Amino acid sequence: SIQHVYGAQHPPFDPLLHGTLIKSGSKPPTTPVKLKKVSTFQEFESNTSDAWDLGDDDDELLAIAAENLNTEVVMETAHKVIENHSKLQEQHKFQEHLQEEKQEEESAQLTSVACGDNRLVKSVSEGHTSRNASENSSMQRSQSLPQTSTPPLVSGMADYNTSATPALTEREASRLDKFKQLLAGPNTDLDELRKLSWSGIPKWVRPIAWKLLSGYLPANVDRRESTLQRKRKEYFAFVEQYYDSRNDENHQDTYRQIHIDIPRMSPEVLRLQPKVTEIFERILFIWAIRHPASGYVQGINDLVTPFFVVFVCEYIEEEEVENFDVSSLPEEALQNIEADSYWCMSKLLDGIQDNYTFAQPGIQKKVKMLEELVSRIDEQVHRHLDQHEVKYLQFAFRWMNNLLMREVPLRCTIRLWDTYQSEPEGFSHFHLYVCAAFLVRWRKEILEEKDFQ
Amino acid sequence: DDAFDYLFKIILIGDSNVGKTCVVHRFKTGHYNEKQQNTIGVDFTVRSMDIDGKKGSSIHWPLQLLSFLLQIQVWDTAGQERFRTITQSYYRSAHGAIIAYDLTRRSTFESIPHWIHEIEKYGAANLVIMLIGNKSDSLDKRQVLFEDACTLAEKHGLLAVLETSAKEAQNIEELFTLMAKELIARNTLQLHGKNPPNSFCLDSR
Repeated sequence: SIQHVYGAQHPPFDPLLHGTLIKSGSKPPTTPVKLKKVSTFQEFESNTSDAWDLGDDDDELLAIAAENLNTEVVMETAHKVIENHSKLQEQHKFQEHLQEEKQEEESAQLTSVACGDNRLVKSVSEGHTSRNASENSSMQRSQSLPQTSTPPLVSGMADYNTSATPALTEREASRLDKFKQLLAGPNTDLDELRKLSWSGIPKWVRPIAWKLLSGYLPANVDRRESTLQRKRKEYFAFVEQYYDSRNDENHQDTYRQIHIDIPRMSPEVLRLQPKVTEIFERILFIWAIRHPASGYVQGINDLVTPFFVVFVCEYIEEEEVENFDVSSLPEEALQNIEADSYWCMSKLLDGIQDNYTFAQPGIQKKVKMLEELVSRIDEQVHRHLDQHEVKYLQFAFRWMNNLLMREVPLRCTIRLWDTYQSEPEGFSHFHLYVCAAFLVRWRKEILEEKDFQ
Repeated sequence: DDAFDYLFKIILIGDSNVGKTCVVHRFKTGHYNEKQQNTIGVDFTVRSMDIDGKKGSSIHWPLQLLSFLLQIQVWDTAGQERFRTITQSYYRSAHGAIIAYDLTRRSTFESIPHWIHEIEKYGAANLVIMLIGNKSDSLDKRQVLFEDACTLAEKHGLLAVLETSAKEAQNIEELFTLMAKELIARNTLQLHGKNPPNSFCLDSR
C-alpha cells in the first residue's frame, strides 16, 4: 500500500512514456536528459516538494517505527539521547577549553621565537623601481568567498551506512523485499531498479545494485558471475601489464602524485591501513595511464572511496566499515573489491571525464550552468553573491571537482550516489541541480552574510 | 571592515605536498593540522594583522613610528599541474606571492624558476615575491641548502627567503609580517611621494 510519488523523479514522470515502456518491455530511455528539455526548476521543485510528506523519506520510517514502540522504550531512549547530548556538550566545552589553553601557549611561543637566522631579507627600498607600475594595483578592499563558506554538514540525512540499526522496520523490510525480488531476475528491470533506487538503496543490496546501475553488471542474472570473473581477470591483467611501469620516467610523476595524495585522504582510518593504500594506488594508477587525456587529477582519489566502502560491505558483518581492519579480509575478497571498485569508478568517470582534461572544461561549463540556473531560480541569492563579488568558480570549483565529497560526510555521499546512479546523467547534470539546491537550502545564511572575506 | 588600513592579497604557490596549506593553517589558527587534505583549486583564508612600527623588531623599517591594521587575504592554491588554469586566474590581482618548496625534497626546489616564470607571466609587474623552504623541522632530511635558495632568490630579485616549519611554528608569523611590511612600505611611500631611505638595504642573516 505504498503510494508512489512519481513527481520525485527527475525529470518529472511522464505517464505516457512510462506506460508504453512497461507494455513493450523495451529498454529504458537512455537518451541523455538535456537541461532544456526538463521543465523549470520551480515546476520540478513544486512537483517534488510533496514527496517529503508521502514518499520514501525517513521521517515516515521513523514515524512507523515509533508506532511499534511502547512508551516505556520511547521514554528510555529519549532519556538516553538527552543524557548523551549533555555529555557531548560537556566534552565540547572541555575541548574548547583545552584548545584555548593550547592557543595561549602557542601564541606565547610564537612571540618568543625571535627572528630565526634562516632568513635572507632584501630591501624594501628596491620597491621604488617599480613604484609607478604599482600605482594602479588597487588596494581597495574587495571580497571573495572564504574557505569556510561551505555550508555545515547536512544533518538529518539517513544514516544508512554507518549507524547500527539491526532491527528492520516493516517499511524497510518491504523495501528490501522489493529490491531482492527485482535483483533475483532472471532479468533485472533496470528501469524499475533506477526508480526504486532513486530514493535510497538498503545497504544489504547496495553493492549489487550499484554494480547494475553503473552498467558494470548485466541485467541477466545468469551472466553476472561470468562477467564478474572476466572483468576481474581483465583488471588484474592491466595491473600485471602496467603497474611495474609506475617508476618509469614517463609515469613517475603520475605515480608520485597519487602516492602523496593517498595519505592525505579521508576518512582517516581507511587511509592509515597499508592494504588500503596499496589498493587505492593501483586503482588510480591503472585508471590514470589508461586515460591519458586526463590522467590522474587530485580529487579523483576521493571518488574511489564510496565504491570501496560499499563493496567492502559485501564481505563483512560489521556495521562500521570506516573502523574495519581491511587486512582481515581474505585475499580473494580484497581482489574482488579492488577490481569492482576500479570498474565502477571508471564507469562514473566516463561520464565526467571532461572535468579532468586540460583546462578542466567540464567544470568550467558546469559552474557557468550553475550560475545561470541559480540566477533563474533564486535571483536574490544570485544578486547577493554578485554584489559581494563572490564568483561561482571560487566556491563551486571543488563542488564539481570532488562531487561535493569534501562538503558532506561519506555516508551522505553514498546515499547521494544511489540517486546519481539512478539518473541518466547523475554525476554531471543532476549533480548540478544538487549544487543549486545546496545554495537554495542555505539561502538564509548566504543572504545574512555580508562579509565574504 | 573600514577599520583596516590595507587589504593585501597574497597568493601561495609551489609544488604539491610542500606544505602550503599547513603554512596558511598555522598562520590563520596557530595550529598544525597533521591530517591536511590536498587542496582542490584555490582556498581562501583571511586574517587581520597588527603591524606596530613602534614595537621592537629586528627588521628595520622606514615607517617605524607608525601602526597599521591590515587584512591579509591568502589564496592557497593546489600544486598539481592540471589546476594551473584555475590558479592562474588569481595571479592578476595578487599584491604578493609566496613560493614554497619542501627543503627535504630537491625536486620541489628545482621547480622554483618555473613558478617565478608563472608569476612573471600572469601576475602584476610589481608583485612582491618571497621564497620559503618549508619543513625546517626535518633538517636531518635536508636536500636544499639555504645558501642555494639565497642565490636563487637574489638572481631573480625576490624579496626574501625564509626557512619555515608549519609544524613547529617557525618563521610563519615572520613570513607574513615581512610581506606585510614590504607591501605597506611600497604603498605608503608611494602615496606620500617620498623616496625610500637609502639606508634601508639589509640582510638580517
